[in-house]
Amino acid sequence: MSVIVDLILGVVTSIGGFVEVGSISTSAQAGSEFGFQLLWAVAAAGLMLAMLVEMAGRLAAVSKQPLAAAVRERFSIQFQIVPLGAELLLDLLLLAAEIGGVGIAMKLATGVGFQWWIVPIGIAIWTVLWRCGFGLIEYGIGLLGLVTLSFVVAAWRLGPNTHDLTRSLLPSLPQHDAVRYAFIAVSIVGATVSPYLLNFYSSGTVEEKMTEKELWVNRVTAYMGTGFGTVVSMGILVTSAMVLGPRSIHVESYEQAALMFVPAFGRWAIALFALSLGIGCFGAAVEISLNGGYVASQVLGWAWGANRPRGSATRFTAAFTLLLLVSLAIAILGFDPLQLTMISVALTVVVMPLMVLPFLVLMNDERFVKQHTSTAIGNGFLAALTILGALLAIVVIPLEVLGG
Amino acid sequence: MHAGFRRSILAVIAALVLTGCGREDEAIRQHRQAFESLGSTMAAIDEAWLAGHLSGTFTVTALAQTLQLAEQERAALAASPEMLADPRGAQLSQSAERLSRLLAATIRDVRAADAGAVRRHLADNPLPPQGRS
Repeated sequence: MSVIVDLILGVVTSIGGFVEVGSISTSAQAGSEFGFQLLWAVAAAGLMLAMLVEMAGRLAAVSKQPLAAAVRERFSIQFQIVPLGAELLLDLLLLAAEIGGVGIAMKLATGVGFQWWIVPIGIAIWTVLWRCGFGLIEYGIGLLGLVTLSFVVAAWRLGPNTHDLTRSLLPSLPQHDAVRYAFIAVSIVGATVSPYLLNFYSSGTVEEKMTEKELWVNRVTAYMGTGFGTVVSMGILVTSAMVLGPRSIHVESYEQAALMFVPAFGRWAIALFALSLGIGCFGAAVEISLNGGYVASQVLGWAWGANRPRGSATRFTAAFTLLLLVSLAIAILGFDPLQLTMISVALTVVVMPLMVLPFLVLMNDERFVKQHTSTAIGNGFLAALTILGALLAIVVIPLEVLGG
Repeated sequence: MHAGFRRSILAVIAALVLTGCGREDEAIRQHRQAFESLGSTMAAIDEAWLAGHLSGTFTVTALAQTLQLAEQERAALAASPEMLADPRGAQLSQSAERLSRLLAATIRDVRAADAGAVRRHLADNPLPPQGRS
């Protein structure tokens, strides 16, 4: 019975925790500029994430080690310095963008500039990290995040043509602005398959003491949670395509994005959008901060764990505190949160092979996953997509920056 | 051989000039699209406020953000003398300036809760969307 409850909670909180600043920005831009045409990118990114998350959970449940610790053991700390540095740098940028997202949500609700909210938001995040255990962080924030289902409700109320939706699940070439199309496709992948999610999920699996016998729970949670979460991202894209696209509104600010809710929710539109953005970003900010502590501690061999008293894992606490402080400093400098998000998610794709390829090697090493190794097809698919995505990102990011 | 070389040089120059023109056309198209998007954003905000769907606070915040984006876009357009020297660029710059003034006037009228004035501004959008070229 407890396993079933855990399973339901896991799936539900995965849905609630799926949407954050990256998925909202990229899907809103995709819909407003290219209609439904980039739905395939959301679906492909969702599938990639589900496969990677399932693997991260499997590795952690079988080896009793989170991803970062396993990579360190298999490849040595010298090897891991580069991926660790890349991941922490991305975490830093993404955390600043998420904090900015919460600030923007507060600005939408109150009219007070987002920078005024940065310090109170930082204090709120740190308080949650200081006081709450892993279960409360994961389930509490995930359940609150169910408000993001309003994107699906909005799309459903607008009544999109199902034939057009189905057709858009197959990749197609754009009729205009090919570089922009490729840039947004890359950004959607980067926003969905964030490296922090993999380590956070595997660390969570260890914290929750999942056993080898519960691998099916891990599989169902990973595929169903990510699958339904992907539907929420699709809801953003579809709503944006149906409301903002026909008016030629290209999303350059969250104020523009918020308008997508007006036809579906009328006077509740802005409040619902602000809640979805705020809760989604706050949840992600807590998880990214915690992940900073996890990764640094696991690679450097320090005591770690959200369920430990903070006093018994001081370096773990110091690591997430430091990451949070630096991100707050970046956020307070006043970078446009939307631009910061787009840059960080696109960069994610560039560095993704550094994290995914060693992970795939681990998933074929019986010392770590025993008989539960991954299939050649799954590994080949993920390796090919990761490398292709990185190559495409290396080409389109400079083009987009120069063109923009 | 000499004439052939000269023809090659001329062909390269012509190609460079054409590429330059093409790039300028593309840049003007992108600026126009950006201004149309901002004009359309203003219209969407105004309509939603008039329908009672948006609070005054949010409407002012959203219009101020749109004005800021319009000013950034205008600065980007003005940063290129070639584009301003082009009649299409010059016309776009003038329309963009009108859009900025319209946004400022709308912010003032929303603050004063003057629905009649906001309704009049709606009809004055200098950059209505024309679709993609």
